[in-house]
Amino acid sequence: MLNEERIILMTKLAAYEAGEGKQNVKIGNYFRSDYIAVQVLKSVVSASIAFALVFALYIFYDMEQFMQDLYKMDLVAFARNVLIWYGVTVVSYGVATYIICTYRYSRVRRSLKRYYHNLKKLDSLYRE
Amino acid sequence: MTGLLEFREKLKRIYSKSEFILTPLLKFLLAFVTLLVLNGKLGYMTKLDNIAIVLIVALMCSFLPSGCIILFAALFSLLHMYALSPETALVGLCLYLVMFLLFFRFSPRDSLVVILTPLLCVLKIPYVIPIATGLICGPASVVSVGCGICIYYLLSTIINSASTINAMGEDEATAKLRLVVDGILDNKSMMVMIAAFAITVLVVYLLRRMSVDHSWSIAMIAGILTNIVILLVGDLLYDTSLSVSSVLIGSVLALAVGKVIEFFRFCVDYSRTEKVQFEDDEYYYYVKAVPKMSVSLSTKTVKKINSQTAGQRSGRASGRNVVVERSGEGNYGSSRTGAGRGNYRSGRSVVYNGHIPDDGQDGNEDDYEELF
Repeated sequence: MLNEERIILMTKLAAYEAGEGKQNVKIGNYFRSDYIAVQVLKSVVSASIAFALVFALYIFYDMEQFMQDLYKMDLVAFARNVLIWYGVTVVSYGVATYIICTYRYSRVRRSLKRYYHNLKKLDSLYRE
Repeated sequence: MTGLLEFREKLKRIYSKSEFILTPLLKFLLAFVTLLVLNGKLGYMTKLDNIAIVLIVALMCSFLPSGCIILFAALFSLLHMYALSPETALVGLCLYLVMFLLFFRFSPRDSLVVILTPLLCVLKIPYVIPIATGLICGPASVVSVGCGICIYYLLSTIINSASTINAMGEDEATAKLRLVVDGILDNKSMMVMIAAFAITVLVVYLLRRMSVDHSWSIAMIAGILTNIVILLVGDLLYDTSLSVSSVLIGSVLALAVGKVIEFFRFCVDYSRTEKVQFEDDEYYYYVKAVPKMSVSLSTKTVKKINSQTAGQRSGRASGRNVVVERSGEGNYGSSRTGAGRGNYRSGRSVVYNGHIPDDGQDGNEDDYEELF
């Protein structure tokens, strides 16, 4: 005999597993600190590449002037400035990533908790 | 209203039946239009401006994830830029990479927003985007809308500077690059547009989630007013040469599109709102339940018409066994238990018969087919 409640629950669970749940289960497999650390690390790499691209574009934008000033400028001060900008970019992007990932992780855990609760409910329906 | 609700249910039914063909078809159309617009507006690489290539790529996009439309569109635009001048392509590549590395990581599912924003800007109806995004997506979509506007202004800067870039010689590489970069960074219209759209998305999102009656309509109107005010203030401050009539017409269109989205996503009957209050050991609950408007499609299916066999006719009165399924007609009601469950359960199975089969097995089998 078909059990309508069971079918509805199974359909909901299957839809969750096929959609949002797929990504959530992956995130849920991490410990909170591991997940956030990995994401922040990825962000540092991404921000570094993005900074390098923008810096290269900046140099190329004013290449002639830069080449003229290269021998006159204080290279140490220039490098310090670049490093400060790099640090500000990477740190601010890393902090933003930390906040977003913390929020995302807690949301995913809540969602997975509901999913596992429904799984248990389905199991109990089968045992009835 | 009942007619509209029935129409909505019909559309839903058609979509759920033909989803496997409709989704790829819609993706194909989106990719096809996007690539055609790119070829039409840029079109510097004549080899790419070929309908066969566009069709093949659009066909590929229809079966690949929707993010691939962005990938191919970016590739097409970069190739056109490269044909114009490699320096332009370099700027485009840098901008795309920065967007990909910094922004798309956090909203990878908003690829449609990134594609549709520049597309609707080209079609002169960009004001639909912040309203629709605020209604359908979350606050993170602000990033996607901003990226879409950046892409539109990058492309329009290149289109406007194309003749100047062509006139420049090979040795003026940095001048070409500077022309494009300045064109983007000094573009006050882009900044005003990004600010207006970002704030509008947030306003619409926040208001539509409020627990007040007609929150979606309030959100749409407030969003449109916010958008208009910011664009006008931006125009006053930075002289963005804004066309007030196009903003007003676009806003009316945005409202219309918003109402259509509301009809499909959030069609509720506020006249039957219920407010309940209860408590358990730990909390007091103040619950406001607004029933969804829904209507079941009327269907009539004749499943089986059995002629009496000679043996049966001799034993019982003559007649036919006709099983008819009907579902509820025209009355809309609530389905508070979610998932449109009420809609599918409102049908009833009626057995018109000249006889009831003796062996209950057959009868049960017919009913079973009817109900499931």
